[in-house]
Formats: sequence, structure tokens, C-alpha cells
Amino acid sequence: MRLMRLMRALIATAGSLLILSASPAIAGPGHDVEIRLTLKDHRFVPAEIRVARAVKVTLIITNADATVEEFESPALNREKLIPPGQTITLFLRPLKPGVYEFFGEFNPKTATGRLIVE
Amino acid sequence: MLGAFLITWREGIEAFLIVGIMLTYLYKIGQGRHGRYVYAGTAAALAASLVFAYFSNLLEAAFQGIGQDLLHAAILGLATVVLTQMVLWMHHHARELKGQLQTRTDEAIATRKLWGIAFLAFLGVFREGVETVLFLWGLVLQTRTSLMAAGPLAGGLSGLVLAVLTTWLFFKGFGHLDLRAFFRVTGILLCIMAAGMLASAAGRLIAAGILPPLIEPLWNTSWLLDERHMPGSLFSGLFGYRSHPSLMEVLCYTLYFPVTLLLARWYTARMTAARP
Repeated sequence: MRLMRLMRALIATAGSLLILSASPAIAGPGHDVEIRLTLKDHRFVPAEIRVARAVKVTLIITNADATVEEFESPALNREKLIPPGQTITLFLRPLKPGVYEFFGEFNPKTATGRLIVE
Repeated sequence: MLGAFLITWREGIEAFLIVGIMLTYLYKIGQGRHGRYVYAGTAAALAASLVFAYFSNLLEAAFQGIGQDLLHAAILGLATVVLTQMVLWMHHHARELKGQLQTRTDEAIATRKLWGIAFLAFLGVFREGVETVLFLWGLVLQTRTSLMAAGPLAGGLSGLVLAVLTTWLFFKGFGHLDLRAFFRVTGILLCIMAAGMLASAAGRLIAAGILPPLIEPLWNTSWLLDERHMPGSLFSGLFGYRSHPSLMEVLCYTLYFPVTLLLARWYTARMTAARP
């Protein structure tokens, strides 16, 4: 049993390393990833993030604009105020594959983004 | 312009609904003169929002990490408790008023209850205040650098004014209800709001990693009501609607009602027993 678990862990690590080396935007399973976003001119940069499934994601968002924004995502069940010049941190549970949209409540037309879990 | 207008209109309604209920309630039981407690609570909340927004640079800890979630959870949790107390008290009075003269409430309305009302108005407005002040201040800053932003600022301010008018009209409509119907309608409304606040407080604690979500999401009802647009966003702010709620939030929401019903029975029994 223990051997099986070790094997599985090894495969998972190797797999994630492969994925990581192939594309820096994707994080492998079993790893916690930190993703940094910036709000500039009422847009999320980058506006699209990709992570692997079963990864614990920490979103760190900096508001580089002079106005307040509220990060909001019904799909992620999160909302958080970001005063101008400040940074917030969102801790997300491991997510199922899918597209999770988020937006800035005060600029919903421009400030939109997606978290894609593969 | 329309975007800013809709935002402040919605935030304004969310903030002023409780204020409206309290004012109408006092007026209805012939205690309109005590409305100043409600106004005092509202004014204090506006002042606190301004101070909090002004010092938001210094209060980084309140926004970063889990500070913001804890702060929101505390405000929402406190508001749930105070709101529930108010509902129990109003419910008890509704029963008392059956076949009695309204003047009896004169003696029943203690100063402690009035401070409770003031505190509730404070929490109701402060809950949305900081956010709205920061939002409007951002519009003021933008207007300084470009005249293009004058439109949004005008929209934001008129949204706030219209929110006051909307709430006022809403309660003007309640003027036709008799006292018992008013109690019933507002009692149910306040209970749904309190359940929403409790579930939102739980949601904030889940975001802070303090409460387990159990199952998240339990379901997805965004096809029916989406928080990103009206009226979903208003339902979200007023009644704590979530399209992707966790099991923990749903439990808090649904269990709130039977628990409050039991509390109401206990409260009425205790108050009746206390009377000679």
C-alpha cells in the first residue's frame, strides 16, 4: 500500500514537473500555486489563468488603479474589496476542471477574467 | 454613467432598507419622535464610513490577508444578532397589540431598545458605507483628472439619491397596511435578510479558511438568477443570494428560520411569564 502511494506521488510529481516545464502558466497537481494579478486601467492582467485540477490556488491581486475595485466571482463564491494601491489574497480550494469567471464589480465591462482549471 | 448609477442605487437600497423599516416601525407604533435614534445611527455610520475609507491606506491590514473577511464576518454576525433581537421584539409586540390600544407601547419602548434600533441602523448602513464611499471617492478623483468622468460621478450621486427615494416610496406603500400586516411583512423580510447575513458571515469565514465549506459548490443556479446582473445582484446584497453556495452557507441559511421560530416562542413565553 505504502509503495503504491509512493509510486503515485512520484508519478504525480513527475507529471507536474513535466507540465510545469512545458508551460509555466500551468501548475501540476499536489502543488500549491500562487498567481499574481494586477488591475490596471480597470482590466485584469493577465485576464486568463490556467491551473491543473486539484491544485490549491492562491490569487494575489494588486490594484494598480487609483480607484477602488471589488473582486467578485459567483463561480468561485468569493468577493473582496481592493482599495487603490492595495493587494488582496484569495485562498481557493482545489477546483474541479472548468471555467471560473471573475470580474470587477465596479467596472464589470472591462475588468473581466477567467480561471481555467484543466 | 449608468454603471455607476446602478451600483450606488443598489448599495443605497441595501443600506437604507433597514433604516426605512425601523423608521416606519416607530412611526406605526406612534413613536415617530424616536426616529432621531435611527437618524443618529445612520449619521454615525456615514461618518464612520468616511473615516474608514479615508484611512484605508493606513488600514491595509483590514483589507489584506484574511483581515477583510474577518471584519465583514464580524459586522455581519453582529448584524444578524441585533436584527434577530429586533425581530423577536417586534413579533412579541405584534401579538401584544391584538385587541389593545397602541398607547401601551409607550411604556414598553425602553431606552435600551432605542439604542438597539440606533445600533441596527448603524450596522445596516456601515455594512455598505465604506465600499460606497471608496467607490464615489474614486469617481471624484477621476473627475479631477478628466472631465470624461463627470458623467459617472453624476450617475453615482444620483443613484444614491434615488436609493433614498426608492426606499421612501417603498415604505410610503407600507403606510396603507394595518399594523399587524406590516409586522408580518417586515418580520418575514427582516428574517430573510438576517438569514442572508448569517450565511454571508459564514461565507466570509469560509474564505478566511476558518469554517469548512463542507461541499462547495452545492449547486449552481446562475441560469436562474445571476449575481452579475440585476436583479440577481440586488438579491445577493439584500437576501444573501448566492448562485454557487457551499453546503455550510445553505445550512446556515435554512437553519436560521426554525431556530428563530423557537427563539420567538421562548421570548414570548418569557415575556408573558414576567408580566404580573
